[in-house]
Amino acid sequence: MMIGATGMQTIIFSALLMIVLGLLFSVMLLAASIKLKVETDPKVEQIHAVLPNVDCGACGFAGCASYAKAVAQDPSLIGRCSPGGAATAAKIAAVLNLQISEGGAPKRPIIHCRACQQDKTYYGEYRGIIGCTSANAQPIVQACAFGCLGFGGCVRRCRFNALHIIDGLAVVDYDKCTGCGACVAGCPRGLIEMVPFTQEPMMVVACSSKENGRMTRAMCSVGCIGCGLCAKQTDVFTVKDNLARVDYARYQPTEAAEAARQKCPTKAIVFRGKGAPADEKVSKTAAGAPAAS
Amino acid sequence: MRRKAFKGGVHPPENKHFTEFCPIEPVPVPQQIVLPLVQHIGAPCQPIVQKKEKVEYAQCVGKADAYVSAAIHSPVYGTVKDIALASHPVIGRTMAVYLEPLPANNPPRQPTAGQFSSAFEPADYSPEQICTAIQEAGLVGMGGAGFPTRVKIEPNPAMPKHTLIINGCECEPYITCDYRVMLEWTWQVLAGVRLAAHASGCRTIRIGIEDNKPTAVEAFEEAISQSCPDEDIQVVVVKTKYPQGGERQLIKSVLGEQVPTGGIPPQIGICVLNVATCAAIAEAVVFKQPLTHRVVTVTGRAIARPGNYYVPIGMSVKDLIDHCGGLTEQAAKVVLGGPMMGFAIADLSTPLTKTTGALTILTREDVTEPKYALQQTACIRCGRCLMSCPEGLNPTRIAHAVKHFRMEQAEQYYLSACIECGCCSYVCPAHIELAGYIKTGKLLKAREKKRLA
Repeated sequence: MMIGATGMQTIIFSALLMIVLGLLFSVMLLAASIKLKVETDPKVEQIHAVLPNVDCGACGFAGCASYAKAVAQDPSLIGRCSPGGAATAAKIAAVLNLQISEGGAPKRPIIHCRACQQDKTYYGEYRGIIGCTSANAQPIVQACAFGCLGFGGCVRRCRFNALHIIDGLAVVDYDKCTGCGACVAGCPRGLIEMVPFTQEPMMVVACSSKENGRMTRAMCSVGCIGCGLCAKQTDVFTVKDNLARVDYARYQPTEAAEAARQKCPTKAIVFRGKGAPADEKVSKTAAGAPAAS
Repeated sequence: MRRKAFKGGVHPPENKHFTEFCPIEPVPVPQQIVLPLVQHIGAPCQPIVQKKEKVEYAQCVGKADAYVSAAIHSPVYGTVKDIALASHPVIGRTMAVYLEPLPANNPPRQPTAGQFSSAFEPADYSPEQICTAIQEAGLVGMGGAGFPTRVKIEPNPAMPKHTLIINGCECEPYITCDYRVMLEWTWQVLAGVRLAAHASGCRTIRIGIEDNKPTAVEAFEEAISQSCPDEDIQVVVVKTKYPQGGERQLIKSVLGEQVPTGGIPPQIGICVLNVATCAAIAEAVVFKQPLTHRVVTVTGRAIARPGNYYVPIGMSVKDLIDHCGGLTEQAAKVVLGGPMMGFAIADLSTPLTKTTGALTILTREDVTEPKYALQQTACIRCGRCLMSCPEGLNPTRIAHAVKHFRMEQAEQYYLSACIECGCCSYVCPAHIELAGYIKTGKLLKAREKKRLA
C-alpha cells in the first residue's frame, strides 16, 4: 500500500492535533477537579464497602448506600444491618473508631404454626386467588383461622431464599436467614414473629390458635390446646388465651424445658434455629382429632 | 324500545326458571336457631339475654347503642342454649345467640301480606313514629349490604332527600325472592314504599323493575292505579342487565343521574330501598313485627326441591336444605347469595342472616368451568373489563397494582370506587380474578389504615 507525501503529512498533523487537544482537555479537567472538588467523607465509602450490599432495606433506609451515609453521620444506627449482623457492626465500628458492646441475641423469624397439609382440616376446596391476603379473606380456605395458609406471601418477600413452602407450611431455612424481618409484613395472619435467639436451637410454641382446646383439636392435630402442661414444668412457659408462649429471654435448654416439650400432647413445642431437629410427626388419630362433620 | 340502562354490565344466563313460579312457602320451625350478632353494617350487637333464659317470640336478644346499628330479635319462643361463636358467611366466625325453640308453642309465622289492601293510608302514621318502629324492628337493607334502614330513611337536614327509588331489579342470576315478594305481597310492598316516602320526606317515588319481570310491572301498575293514582309513584322498566340492581347503577338508569365517585346517593337527594325491605317496613310499622323472618330463594341444579321459602332468620343452611329435600349427588358448591356476588360456604351449620336472599347450590359442572385463578393467564390488554365495568373503572390496572402491593397506584385508579360486582372477572378471557384482587386491595388498605390509627 502506498501513501503519498501529502497523505503522510495529513496523518502526522491529525495525530499531533489529537495529542495537543488531549493535553489541553486533561489540563482543563485537572483544573476543574481541583476547583470544583466535592468533599466526600471517606468513611462513607469505607462503610459501604463492609456492608453486605444486598439493599434489603431491613435497616430502614433505601439501601446500603443510604445506610452507609446515615450511619457515618449518626453512629447510633450502627446495629441496624441485620443481614450483616454483629460482624458487620464490628467492622463499621472499626471504620468509625468506636468501641461497641456486644449487642443482644440476633433476632430471627419464627413461624407460629407447624401444621403441614395432613395436619390441617379443610372444610371445603379453595379456588380463589393464590395469595395469602386474598385467601385470608375467605373463611372457606381452611378450618383454622390462625394457621399458615401456605400460599407463600412471606416467601415472596424473602430476598435471601431462606423461606420455602414445604407441604403447605412456610419453613425458615435458618442457615440462609439473615433476620432482616421482611417476611413479617408478608403474613396477613401475623404468624411470623422476630425473636431474639438466645440459644441455638430455641424452643418455641409453633401455634397461634386462640381457640379453645376442643376447637383447636377438631381443626388441627398439632395445635396448642392451652392445656398448661408445659407451664407446670417450668415457668418459662406461660399460657394465655388458650395458647402457650415461651419467655425467649429466659429460655435455657434445661431438663424442665425438655420435659415440657416431651409432655406437650400435641407436640406443639418444637425446636427452631440452626441445628434444630426435625419436627416430630403426629398422626391425626393419635391426637384424637374428631372427624369434621 | 330501548330500555333505560347504565353503561357497562354483563348478561350472565338468568337461570330464574328454577324458582320463578314457586309461591312463597313458610317453613316449619327448625330444631335450633343461631342468631349471629353481626348481621348488618355498623356496630356489632351485644347480647342482652342470659344463658338458659326463656325468650319470647320477637323479643330483642341483641342490640348496640351506636346510631348505625340494628337490633336482633328472636324469631321463636324458646330457651337460650348458649352464647358462643358461630360460622358467619362473610367474616368467618362471630358471636351468636343459640336458641332452642319449644316446638309446642311455635307455629311457623305466616306472612302478613294478606292484611294489606288498597285502602292503606300512610298518613295515619307520623314520620317519627315510622322511624322509631323501623329502628325497633331492627330493619336493615335486605338486598345484601345490610345497611340499617332507619339511618337511610330518617330525614337529614344536611342532605334533604327528594326521590325514593325502589329496587325491584333482582339482577343476580338464579335469585327470585324479590320477584315473588313483588308478585304476592304487592299491597304490602306498596304500603311500605309509601310509608318510607312519608317518613323520609321524598315526594317522588320510582320503582325500578327489570324488563324480564313484566308480571311484577303489571302488578305494581295496577296496585298504584287502584290505591294512590294521584301520588307521584311510577314504575320504571329498566333493561335486564347485571348489575342493574346496584344502587348507583339503578339511579343512573332510572333518573339518568350520576352519584359522585366516592359519594353516596343522599348527597344528590336520593334514597334507594329494596322491595323486601319495603315489605318489612310495612310489617314493622303496622303490625310492630320485628325483622325475624325473610324470603329466601333456594335454587340451583343440585337441590331436590328449589323454591322460595319464608324462613326464620337464624335457621341453619343445613336445616333449610333438608327441608328442601336435601342436596342431590352432583352438589359441589353452596353459595349464600347469588353466583355473582354470593359467598361460598364450607360449613353447612352457618345460619341465614337478615341479608341472605338466596341459597344457590351449584353442581360440579357449574363450577368446573375454567373460571378460576388456578388457570389464570396473563392479561392480554383486550380491555373487556373496562367495557363491562359499570363504574367506568380500569379493573386490570387496579388489580395489577394490588398484586404488586402498589397501593398508592391502586388508589389513583379509584380502588375504593369499585362496587365489587364481579363483571370484570366474569368477562376476563384470561380468567384473572380481577374483582378478587380489588377486594384484596380494599382489605390491604383497611389494614394499613388500622396500623396507622
